[in-house]
Amino acid sequence: MKVAIPQDSLARALGIVSRAVPSRSPLPVVSNVLLTTDDHRLKLVATNLEIALTVWIGAQVSEEGTITVPARLFSEFVSQLKGDQPVQITLPPRSRQLNVHCGRDEANIGGMPADDFPVVPEVTDGQRLVLPARGLRRAIEEVVFAAARDDSRPVLTGVHVQVADGVAELAGADGFRLAVHRLRLPAPSAEGSPEPFSVNIPWSTLDHLGRLLSESGDVQMAVNGERTRALFRLDDIELVTQLIPGTFPNYQQLIPTTYATRARVSVEEFLHETKIAAIFARDGSGIVRLHVTPGEGGGPGSLQVSARADEVGDNRGEIDAAVDGEPSKIAFNSRYLIDVLSVLEPGELALETSGPSNPGVLRPLGHDDYVHVVMPMFVQW
Amino acid sequence: MPQTILHADLDAFFASVEQLDRPELRGKPVVVGGPPERRGVVAAASYEARRFGVRSAMPMARALRLCPEALRVPPRFDRYAELSHRVMAIFRSITPLVEPLSLDEAYLGVTAEVEAHGGPERLARSLKERVQRETGLVVSVGVGANKSVAKIASDRGKPDGLVVVPAGKEAEFLHDLPVRDLWGIGPRSEELLHRAGVETIGDLARLPAEAATRLLGSRGAELRDMANGVDPRPVVTSRERKSVGAETTFPRDLPDGPELRAELRQLAEEVATRLRHEGKLGYTVTLKLRYHDFRTVTRQQTLARPVDAGDEVERVAAALLDGLGTAGARFRLVGVTCSRLVERGAWQPDLWGAVADPFADGPGRTAPAQAAEGQRPQD
Repeated sequence: MKVAIPQDSLARALGIVSRAVPSRSPLPVVSNVLLTTDDHRLKLVATNLEIALTVWIGAQVSEEGTITVPARLFSEFVSQLKGDQPVQITLPPRSRQLNVHCGRDEANIGGMPADDFPVVPEVTDGQRLVLPARGLRRAIEEVVFAAARDDSRPVLTGVHVQVADGVAELAGADGFRLAVHRLRLPAPSAEGSPEPFSVNIPWSTLDHLGRLLSESGDVQMAVNGERTRALFRLDDIELVTQLIPGTFPNYQQLIPTTYATRARVSVEEFLHETKIAAIFARDGSGIVRLHVTPGEGGGPGSLQVSARADEVGDNRGEIDAAVDGEPSKIAFNSRYLIDVLSVLEPGELALETSGPSNPGVLRPLGHDDYVHVVMPMFVQW
Repeated sequence: MPQTILHADLDAFFASVEQLDRPELRGKPVVVGGPPERRGVVAAASYEARRFGVRSAMPMARALRLCPEALRVPPRFDRYAELSHRVMAIFRSITPLVEPLSLDEAYLGVTAEVEAHGGPERLARSLKERVQRETGLVVSVGVGANKSVAKIASDRGKPDGLVVVPAGKEAEFLHDLPVRDLWGIGPRSEELLHRAGVETIGDLARLPAEAATRLLGSRGAELRDMANGVDPRPVVTSRERKSVGAETTFPRDLPDGPELRAELRQLAEEVATRLRHEGKLGYTVTLKLRYHDFRTVTRQQTLARPVDAGDEVERVAAALLDGLGTAGARFRLVGVTCSRLVERGAWQPDLWGAVADPFADGPGRTAPAQAAEGQRPQD
């Protein structure tokens, strides 16, 4: 193998695939990155066996070849090389030592045969669809944080993606909150709109994918016929992931359709006051108390955000709120509020509540594509 | 440095509380428990009733046959918890090292307090007097160099007992006592020991270690040590409670039936009372059953919403028992435990809690019944 590649594109590609490399693995070859010449390109592959990332970069290929080398070592070395020089990669025939040469720097890296590297499965025989990159990125950001991190209910560690009627609905939920984003799909092509389907994608896969998505362009998604794997294809990147088996619970029934109190507030102000209250809530099970008070005589109402911890202290902060309905109080875990408020776009949101023991609902105003449901904490007021 | 441990045990606690609150019951045989027509069992019997042979965990119908003039009162666990709280507070004013075993019983680590009180006997006497003066209840006290000796000592003195076993005199105190007085020796173990010619604690103490293990299984060595007055278990206090449980060993093996169910109800109520007493709620209810042959099984269920009410705990425990397939089986012990505890004051309810079985089609959160097969200590 003999290849020359611009340093910056090699460093970028290694940066991308390295995210799939597990920090520890029972299978040593998995901590390596697979390098393969592919026509006029170099293909880089890394996998943690749950997801596999593949990146192609343009290269000057003088001799075909393939090898795996330790991902971390190779990536760190390449990232330190000078950007104005091409990186020469040479693997002599029947050798396992990869020679890397750039300007006046040179290294020999011991590798393992490409045959030992896990085969990235094909995803061919199922559904296909096209997703807008920017919209998908936002949907992932607004949903992934709500998926369960512990696997006591394995299906909840996935984000449920349901495709039907020109919409991909993404839903993430743990035991205490639910985030649902409806992503409108581009107008169907000549082939017609995709068949409805639903899958559970590991939250970590979507987290990886979200970081790869740009502000424009499309993402192609494919699911195999058995619904065990999915593929995402960006320009020169492919991500293949295992899917989580099982039926995602029916979450529609968790979304309240009525409310007793609705308060319209600024997302930024609400987040700011919640962060302040969280400082005091730290010693008191993370409880943040909200009091919504309707305005009197045409004046604005208010949302008071407070916290207290025995023997530590307490705080109160207040922001304007346009209130519809009766005065209300409700308590939330500060982390759950901060999680959702941090991912909403600047603007206004509506907080809808139906008493201190029923789920609260947050809806950004101006987008009917997102809803967040969070279970309040039971506290003694 | 030798330890001094005090075991304090309220005499006929539930029954005494009833006699305290209702003067007309004083001096009379009182039994606390559910009505015989609902197959109630005796939760407590006053000493007047015990003279007729009435004992705890006995079917109420039998108790009333033994002692027809007995006055039966339904249990009021909240009231018992309240008085228990006051008694424990008195204990804690004497030493911070208090390990409650149940509502009416605790170990006190008093090694550092003995001298200031003028010796173990004076300390024990002042404790008894304070409990009597401040609550009207009578407590029996045993003092010894370790838990096992202190507990046996308080038992020997009942009622209104005060027994101090001087350091170094443990063997002398224990050796002539019947072996069943030893903590951990039930009727079944007693029978096995009797058959092997072991009648007294002294006999067990003199048994070769292998013989003790052969007779009593894995607990053999520990029990033999205790028989020799050796018990290294420390007084454990202020641990963050991970669970609250109660169990009863029956005087004779019981089939699944009204008596067992009544006992289950009582245990559930006791556990729930203690949860409320500690300001906790529990998500998981565990049922423990020991079969006549010492095989022990546990079954547990985790709920969507934590509970602290007796009927809720009972309902779950009873459903677990229903799921066990108990036909033909006989049980020697039943226990109920609540775990995964949260503070009553502030807990995070589950979003799915309000929804009927949202995981019906998918993997569940917790297997509704997890089995744990116990060892047979006799094998």
